Amino acid sequence: MALRLWASSAANALKISSSAARAAPAYSISRYFSTVLDGLKYSSSHEWVKHDGSVATIGITDHAQDSLGELVYVELPTAGTQVSQGEAFGNVESVKATSDVNSPISGEIVEVNAALNEKAVLINESPYGDGWMIKVKPSNPSELDALLDAGKYTKHCEEEHAH
Amino acid sequence: MSGGARRVLGAWKLGLVSYGDALRLQERLVADRRAGRVSDLVLSLQHPPTYTLGKRRTDHNLLLPEAELRGLGADIHRTERGGDVTFHGPRQAVLYPILSLRAIGLGARRYVEGLESAMIEVAALYGVAARPGAAGETGVWVGDRKIGAIGVRISSGFTCHGLAFNIDPDLGYFKHIVPCGIADKEVTSLRREAAVELPPDEVIHDQLVQSLARTFCFSDVEVKDESECADMVCLAAATQS
Repeated sequence: MALRLWASSAANALKISSSAARAAPAYSISRYFSTVLDGLKYSSSHEWVKHDGSVATIGITDHAQDSLGELVYVELPTAGTQVSQGEAFGNVESVKATSDVNSPISGEIVEVNAALNEKAVLINESPYGDGWMIKVKPSNPSELDALLDAGKYTKHCEEEHAH
Repeated sequence: MSGGARRVLGAWKLGLVSYGDALRLQERLVADRRAGRVSDLVLSLQHPPTYTLGKRRTDHNLLLPEAELRGLGADIHRTERGGDVTFHGPRQAVLYPILSLRAIGLGARRYVEGLESAMIEVAALYGVAARPGAAGETGVWVGDRKIGAIGVRISSGFTCHGLAFNIDPDLGYFKHIVPCGIADKEVTSLRREAAVELPPDEVIHDQLVQSLARTFCFSDVEVKDESECADMVCLAAATQS
């Protein structure tokens, strides 16, 4: 069961339809109501992990892609690279801002999503699906326990938003 | 409890600084900010003639070979910021905010919009109606002419690099690049667009800093002057962290 508050794509449509799009309310709504999926684990820096047997898939959340804006470029490491929990494994570019993406877990990268080289916007369109970024063989599966579940991550987003 | 807490933005006025020295200083300050050794601050400076490229290394937007660009007296740097190729030079106000976006509760998009907004506000002080770019054209425009550029790097929510606002730089330098990768659009300056006389650059730098502070809800600006900062720049250059 997905913990779906509002589809952020609907919120995006709302923003686009308003030409005075700088007004605060549209942003509050879109940032507040982003999709958070049950069954995934989350980092406080807005990455998600899906652990399937021996491989973990990693990407950034709906909240993250929305607050970044439309992505134009993704830089990913190569398979075989080691990643450490909490450290950057790559970066994404949107609105002339290059933002680091951190790995929620440690391990060896076994696959990267080459489709992102051609179409960075996949991350915006499908942050939990086709926009996945790397697959990692976890070196320390207990790290997953320290991550946030859907409920805690949602709360984290709400707290960050309340500034 | 109201949002009345004092949030102070440090403003470091650095004068003319080489791109490399400014980069080293920013790296040190981001580390300091991350460790809580400094609070949010903005560097306010100008560069000698310098072409810079962003992370995507869009070398094809340099229209002359590097050797020729250097022959014109310009430096060239490849950086880790977002954005395409641009030019920095004297009479262009450069601001590098080193902020914790998480503390302000902003994502990349809203941060960049804040930078655009600060430049637009300052242009308006001189009767110039600037606007943000269309989708995919981050920056500040007067009609079809670009007056302000943005290129930012965000690591774990800490910002570096920032904005460049053309007061009255030598626009001829822009002819040797495709600025920001956007062909067929001119570059302009406050000098060209304003019908009024401009004050000394320092006044405009200060206005940009104040505008940034307001945009990002800082209650105060604490200025550190060139004499106080000179040591920091040298220290950063000497002890590359």
